[in-house]
Amino acid sequence: MVIHALLKRNTYYDSIALMSVAQAVKDLPGVVDVGAVMATSINCELLQNSDLLPVAFLAEQQTPPGPEDLLIVVRASDEAQAQAALAAAEQRLTSRGDRGATDSAAPLPVRSLELALQHNKAANLALISVAGEHAWLEAEQALRHGLHVFLFSDNVPIEQEQRLKALAVKNGLLLMGPDCGTAIINGVGLGFSNVAPRGSIGIVGASGTGMQQLICLIAASGMGISQAIGTGGRDLSEAVGGVMMRSGLALLANDPQTEVIVLVSKPPAERVAREILAAAQLAKPVVVVFLGTERFATIAGKAHVARTLTGGAELAVSLAGGDRTRVPGEGTLHKYNLAAERAKLASSQRYIRALYSGGTLCDEAMLLLSEQVGAVASNIPLRPEWALAAGETFRGHTALDLGSDEFTRGRPHPMIDPALRLQYLARAAQDPETAVILMDIVLGFCAHPNPAAAHVPAISQVRATAAAAGRSLPVIISLCGTEGDPQRLSMQRKALEAAGALVYESNVAAASAAASFVERS
Amino acid sequence: MTVSLLALDYSRPIQPLFAQASRAGSIHSAFHHAVNITLDDTMLSLLSSELPRMPNSARLPPVVAEELLHGLRPGMQVWIGSASLRIPARDFSLHLPQTPPWEPRPGIADYRWSRKTVIHHIRLLAHHLAAQPQRGGLAPLIGPLLLGQPAPETPLSRMALPALRMLALASWRRDSAGVAEATRGLAGLGPGLTPSGDDALAGFAAVMTLLSPYLSADAAPRDDIAATIARVARPRTTALSAVLLAHAAQGEVAEHLGNLLLALALPAEASEAVLHAANHVLSFGANSGGDTLLGMLLALRALEGEID
Repeated sequence: MVIHALLKRNTYYDSIALMSVAQAVKDLPGVVDVGAVMATSINCELLQNSDLLPVAFLAEQQTPPGPEDLLIVVRASDEAQAQAALAAAEQRLTSRGDRGATDSAAPLPVRSLELALQHNKAANLALISVAGEHAWLEAEQALRHGLHVFLFSDNVPIEQEQRLKALAVKNGLLLMGPDCGTAIINGVGLGFSNVAPRGSIGIVGASGTGMQQLICLIAASGMGISQAIGTGGRDLSEAVGGVMMRSGLALLANDPQTEVIVLVSKPPAERVAREILAAAQLAKPVVVVFLGTERFATIAGKAHVARTLTGGAELAVSLAGGDRTRVPGEGTLHKYNLAAERAKLASSQRYIRALYSGGTLCDEAMLLLSEQVGAVASNIPLRPEWALAAGETFRGHTALDLGSDEFTRGRPHPMIDPALRLQYLARAAQDPETAVILMDIVLGFCAHPNPAAAHVPAISQVRATAAAAGRSLPVIISLCGTEGDPQRLSMQRKALEAAGALVYESNVAAASAAASFVERS
Repeated sequence: MTVSLLALDYSRPIQPLFAQASRAGSIHSAFHHAVNITLDDTMLSLLSSELPRMPNSARLPPVVAEELLHGLRPGMQVWIGSASLRIPARDFSLHLPQTPPWEPRPGIADYRWSRKTVIHHIRLLAHHLAAQPQRGGLAPLIGPLLLGQPAPETPLSRMALPALRMLALASWRRDSAGVAEATRGLAGLGPGLTPSGDDALAGFAAVMTLLSPYLSADAAPRDDIAATIARVARPRTTALSAVLLAHAAQGEVAEHLGNLLLALALPAEASEAVLHAANHVLSFGANSGGDTLLGMLLALRALEGEID
């Protein structure tokens, strides 16, 4: 029986690694026992009590081993087996990722902001889409590196948003977000974005789909976009104070490519809206679309206030020297024979059922519908008393924002995966009180690659089922996209119309068409 | 270009290292999810946030930790101070966030403590530890120490068992010389970068510092025992162990151990929550979790009086 040892000075492995190596070596032929310990004096005593103390080996050492040294000892049947066992131990330790003195020359994968910057020192914008818990950290690092930030992540605490935006302003940078869905910067789309020509209309928006609707309607008129700067949906809240909308406004005010500025948001905090309007008194025309807050018209001064996204697009096109009649707005309402469609409804069919993926589009539709048909129940209600109760799917006229948190937790956004919406479509179609179904389909980057293909079979089926039950079931689509989008607007429209859907590019027109089926007499 | 990162979080005891003038240290050891850095007589750990917070740690998001730790080697120079940690060989600097630090001393005083309830939990946890698959270390000694079971016949248990018994007895009797002798028999003993004996001593010391004022049957605090353990162990074990023992003596413990200590204040019927917290401790390292739990349970038992 022989005892051989291996001493690794100032070498540290975690205990799982050492135990695994010791067990593997113990299983080798001829090996009787193995010890792998830090060479503390009491562990040397332990080795002695285990008949593993390598007395001769230790005597050869000029400096006795100490607590910071790793001692591996093998007791084996003969010299060769002991040597082989130690060689195997060292090899296994090395293969587990020994951190030797030499540095690795292999290039590191680019999986961090810092490494990306090393690869491209000219970059000046970071797009961040990580779990909300960590997003502020990445955003802060990007800002400290002098980068503008497009922060796609949601669930960032509002205190962090306030802090990050203050840091951005201090450093003269944009912090687009958090929960920023859309931007077009120097012609490059970020997040959910559409392919639009470059032009003279600049947009600053606290609403992703609101910006997309504006961009698409402007593009349809033949005009183009200089910049589209997202701010994140909470920017115009009392807590955040419109910090980034003011920054974006200032940037566009000084941008020679921008001749007309459009500001868009869901209903902002009163004080913030007033401050934004005060900042919007520029030499350049500014169009303000703060949905549901036409009352600001009286204090808008030089700014032009529009009630709807379509109205905002028409105003901006006109102010930029374009032809506002080329915007496919409410003028397209009667391209279908709505009266004839309405005549086919059964007497039980009384209610609009709207299934939206875009929150702002849903808001806009509810504003218009409520003016024309009365109360609209919703998961994002315009009034508290119109809120759907827990477990309630539809109640009278109903508009659902299926892109809101309660529907997207643990599943893709309906702009990416329509599966959930198709379930709601089937439910709405089965209800004999449903008069018309209203949906939005948003095209562009990040959206479903072919939403018509996903929706057409379902639309055809629900219409056929309703027909078999003696009902006509109109399906109206608010189609937001451009001809340049990967899905191609015209192809999507054609496929949807072939399935019997009524397709409008203006959400206002789509909502008005839906209202026409059930308008109060 | 120097890459500048912000830590995700950091423990309160490392804050002064960043506040003082910059001083040179070096990387002591590097693992896949952790790097230990020596600075004078202390040690700081950079961890991936996949690992629990330690009393001497700053943590990084997993992706950042993976990129950074990949390139670090023992012996590399590190500068700590003037609000940053810099590793020139990697062109890297780390800053602490402006958020408040994590406090590694659990808020024991915020809870109501009942000796009767804690005794119930000790028994539950002792049986739970005894039922764990044993891979080595000192955890198997819970049987002979607290459950009246026979001792395993291994060289490690033959050395450790008398020392653990002496530690418990001397602590109850507030016999500093006995505590020192027992510590000499345990410090640096067993496998691991933090040897098993040290992990048991750390669990023991933390209980003496944090809970002896609330749970001692004779109502006498015993935080001096923890200080003796840390002082005697220091020259006899690894640098990392010595630093963690010093923290334990101050009542500063790893996140999972602190959570378990606080769980002991839960009512007897909350056994599931207590076992859940214990399992987090047991999942740490190959033997470290079990060794720490053994030391913790032995200390809690020692506060009740002499062990038969």
